[in-house]
Amino acid sequence: MNQLLPSLVFWIFAGLTLLGGIAVVALRNPVSSAMAVVTCFIGLAGLFITLSAFFVGIIQILVYTGAIMVLFLFIIMLLDLKVEKGNARSLAGIAAGLSLVAAFVIQLIGVLGANPDMEMSDAPLNKQRMVESAQLLTKESDDNPHPVGADSAIVKSLKEGSLPDVHLVGHKLFTEYNFPLQMLGVLLLVATVGVVSLSKKKSA
Amino acid sequence: MPAYYLEALTITLGIILLVAEAFVPTKSKAWLGLAGSAGLLIVLGLLPISAAASSGNQDWPIWNFYQFDSMAVFFKGFALITTILVLLMSVDYRAILSRFTEEPQSENNTGEYYSLPIFACAGMMWLASAKDLAGAFVALELVTITFYILVAYMRRNLGSLEAGVKYLILGALSTGFLVYGIAWIYGALGTLNFEQMSDLLRQQAEMQASGPNTPLLFGVALVLIGLTFKIGAAPMQLWIPDVYQGAPSPTTAFLSVGSKAAGFVLLMRFLDTILLHAPTMPILGVLMILTIATLIYGNLGAIAQSNFKRLLGYSSIAHAGFLLLALSAYNWPADVDSRLNSHEVVSFYLVTYLVMTLGAFFILAQVRIQRGGEEISDFDGLGKTNPRLAMAMTVLLASMAGVPLTAGFVGKFLAFSVAVDAGLWAAISVALIGAAAGFYYYFKVIRAMWWNEAEGAPAIKVPFISSICISLLTGATLLFGFWPQPILWLVGH
Repeated sequence: MNQLLPSLVFWIFAGLTLLGGIAVVALRNPVSSAMAVVTCFIGLAGLFITLSAFFVGIIQILVYTGAIMVLFLFIIMLLDLKVEKGNARSLAGIAAGLSLVAAFVIQLIGVLGANPDMEMSDAPLNKQRMVESAQLLTKESDDNPHPVGADSAIVKSLKEGSLPDVHLVGHKLFTEYNFPLQMLGVLLLVATVGVVSLSKKKSA
Repeated sequence: MPAYYLEALTITLGIILLVAEAFVPTKSKAWLGLAGSAGLLIVLGLLPISAAASSGNQDWPIWNFYQFDSMAVFFKGFALITTILVLLMSVDYRAILSRFTEEPQSENNTGEYYSLPIFACAGMMWLASAKDLAGAFVALELVTITFYILVAYMRRNLGSLEAGVKYLILGALSTGFLVYGIAWIYGALGTLNFEQMSDLLRQQAEMQASGPNTPLLFGVALVLIGLTFKIGAAPMQLWIPDVYQGAPSPTTAFLSVGSKAAGFVLLMRFLDTILLHAPTMPILGVLMILTIATLIYGNLGAIAQSNFKRLLGYSSIAHAGFLLLALSAYNWPADVDSRLNSHEVVSFYLVTYLVMTLGAFFILAQVRIQRGGEEISDFDGLGKTNPRLAMAMTVLLASMAGVPLTAGFVGKFLAFSVAVDAGLWAAISVALIGAAAGFYYYFKVIRAMWWNEAEGAPAIKVPFISSICISLLTGATLLFGFWPQPILWLVGH
């Protein structure tokens, strides 16, 4: 049971993600398509949570499902988009698409077949391992160039046996990945400027 | 001065221009472009006195994402010069630009067009220093997203909008390939840092691990597909003709020079990482197939074109093919000190490509403004009405075709010579056919200028900035044709 349950949960959520993905393309009503994207994201969030990445999973639901897709739905409904009419799907188009997908899948099977699943090297995430890693995190080493303080929130909650994943993500982001983060700031600025200048109406 | 100040200064310049545009109400926005290029010129002047990690900051995490070697210096300078010239071109192009924005009578909505290329320039400079796939990806997206906006900037022009949508969709597709490939590489090696990746590959090679690392190869193939979008090579070249034709001319020039160079610098760094300690990987064979496909598509597609901007699009694919030809000869003459290796040839070729392509776009922009079209027939009789402009265009086109004594010839010659050293005969024969086809389609424009009669077409008055840039770039094309030493010195040879 202990072995079966995680893999069962994985297949359920993976199936949900795939179903959502297929439905986005297959459904012709834009609102249904948007709802299918929501399904797909919920499946993804489930996968993240089964991997103990609770923060990423919750953010996936809060930001993507909750904020972005709801915004999408609003826009679709406000614009009152009709169901796509007209040109029925041509057989040639479907065949070409399917053959591309098939080629990709065969490639994937080849790659995965040549490399059987590796043995799980990591022991499950339990309190003992968290306490051990709390001590590792405070010491500076080659693998850990930015040690956390001994009385930081990360160490405290690891010693209590709960995973401080928000703090861990934040620590990584603002020490090691600080530089790409600032590049992203510039990227967001450019995107904002672009949206404004492309959608600007005539000033009265 | 620490090297990372260069990008910080560039970004600051962009933000200052954005804010200045909002608070200084002037009728003409030309000063923004001039101020932008002047600012970038100062950054370019600071480039030689910048230094890599010093003792005070060498353990900062920024150096995991940022390197400052000779290649980084070269491509940062390349990005800066390209952006300066593109900004100057935009200054003279603003009549067309404002006609297709929301307020056609005024230039009120064209201000951002001068600050956005500066942000793209910062992205290209970061790419030149890329040291980690995560950082490189963010920089690449900064460049690409800026281009989405620049391509669709003339939003009351259907062509520009169509180009913007096409670029957006295909760009997103290629980004998908890139990210998926990066994920596979991370899965195979457990790191995204170029140094650590090549260290791991060396260890694997020493341990004689069983067979090739297929997940890694799968990732590399996907990343290659993503990068061919940026450099405009097969199999992701389909967007080029439409987007080049629809986008505003300065954007097209920026795309064809700046974006391509940024793609190539990342491609070279990536190939170095993978191939340095694992030269047996079957990557160069794939690159050669891509080379052949790119050369065939670009050169044969260009033959039938009647629109000059579209022709330049196909020609840009063809040039990507010649660049890939040099790259797939990867480092063969490394043991012969007097010869250039393939990276130096690619850098050299890109400089000649910058000079002749930007020159041609400066002339094309003026023809578009004053004769109202970009067809080859719009160049009819230019030899009679503007002999000097037609002369400059002839030199630039001859250089693109690869006529001896022009910069383009030296570039093509070097590309062929490294390929011959590597013995890539199949690709060389295709490239020869492609170069011959090039003579046909470039000379079609020359014929239109000198042999066709102008039917009442007015003489073109070249504005001051354009005329200086055109003379400089044409002069450089001729100069580098028989005296390539300055570029050789720049590429570090």
